[in-house]
Amino acid sequence: MPFKRVIASLLLRKDRLVKGTHFATYRDAGDPKATVRMLAAQGIDEIVLADIDAARDRRLPDIEGISAVATDCNVPLTIGGGIVSTDIAAACLERGADKIMVTSGAIDRPALVDELARRFGSQAVVVGIDVVEGDGTTFLYDHRSAARHPGMTWQHWTTEVVARGAGEIRICAVSREGTRTGLDLALHDSAAGAVDVPVVIEGGAGVLSHLDAAFAHGVEALAIGTMVTFSDNNIFKIKEYLASRGHAVRRMGKA
Amino acid sequence: MAGAEAHIVDCGANNLASVVNAFRAAGAKPRIVKTPEEVRAADRLVLPGVGSAAHAAAHLKSTGIGEALTDRVRRQGHPMLAICVGMQVLLERLREHGDTAGLGWIPGEVVPLRELLAKSTRVPHMGWTTVSPTPSLANVLGKVRGAPTYFFCHSFTVATPRRDAIAATIDLGAEIVAALRFDTVFGTQFHPERSHMNGQRLIEAFLDWSP
Repeated sequence: MPFKRVIASLLLRKDRLVKGTHFATYRDAGDPKATVRMLAAQGIDEIVLADIDAARDRRLPDIEGISAVATDCNVPLTIGGGIVSTDIAAACLERGADKIMVTSGAIDRPALVDELARRFGSQAVVVGIDVVEGDGTTFLYDHRSAARHPGMTWQHWTTEVVARGAGEIRICAVSREGTRTGLDLALHDSAAGAVDVPVVIEGGAGVLSHLDAAFAHGVEALAIGTMVTFSDNNIFKIKEYLASRGHAVRRMGKA
Repeated sequence: MAGAEAHIVDCGANNLASVVNAFRAAGAKPRIVKTPEEVRAADRLVLPGVGSAAHAAAHLKSTGIGEALTDRVRRQGHPMLAICVGMQVLLERLREHGDTAGLGWIPGEVVPLRELLAKSTRVPHMGWTTVSPTPSLANVLGKVRGAPTYFFCHSFTVATPRRDAIAATIDLGAEIVAALRFDTVFGTQFHPERSHMNGQRLIEAFLDWSP
């Protein structure tokens, strides 16, 4: 069986990494090439790099910037942000992406998921699903308008994109993003129970015990942003800790 | 072998940049080949691929690259590393969405993982998994330190009656082929180009491999 995955979620804005809270108030988080090289050397399992302004500004992702990062990356790389056609996805894959993540582009035009899966295979297609809490329940969130989606539940959307060919779901608890309050395990369970493709949970991981709790709960893959950009935790330490807690994680020089 | 040339075949839909970068990092001089003539002049070949095996096989056949590979690797005995879909196209039958013929270098077929795995196992198989090498793989994986763990990202798998050609397996509840080795061909279902240092050492070992 595969090891449990720890994925770094990095946000690209122009040629710098940034990190925010609730998808806003972004702070500088370093040089992308150096960060990717360091994370790979420390044993990160995968890297997701999202061009956060591309979708909002309705422009193409920064292909040159992605290419520069990919050259130095010898672990799997997923690219997201502004991917609205299979041709743009092809440009990203040719420049070094292994997987494509679509979020708002798929909401605008659900057939994009079918097209990507047909051309590149389901294994290369990740659909990002952003969920926000409110009124005691959860809603599908659109980061461009910073508002709930008016007509569709996130649960319906999750099963629909998998039926259309998505090979992986990255579900993000926007209400927790950047807050260090812990991953939303109930949200994970609803998503993981609804589909039979891999599910990555993101949003809220702030301390090591949050990762331990998630893996102990049955999570197979999680993404961390704040913990890799603004803290003393390096990936090597995180993996050693998780292994000491009895979780099957890949460690440098060991497995 | 530092400075060794490796000829990486462009077969349409693939992740050429990652493979080129990984071979460069392993000390090789990677060259991209796009025509049957270039394939027939190549010494050490790499056939990468992601996505659809049927799509890749169609490209190899329509361009004549498939026939050139058969000449160079099967008839003249040049070594080839086939990665993921690059390995899948070597089987006889590709059962993906429909049923198409592969290059048929080895008996067997490409089948959906979903047919072989328990309902509770998630597909695609996505992530880092430790392979169990058979003795025939020992000299190819010789340089790998620690557990031979590699990155996998696939919904389909190869099934072959040639047990002697299976070089490594993984356990996903069912035994799944992780690598093939027959004659001068070494194939991996996993992605050495994305498997960090273990992947780099495997590429180095392939560059030194004299089958």
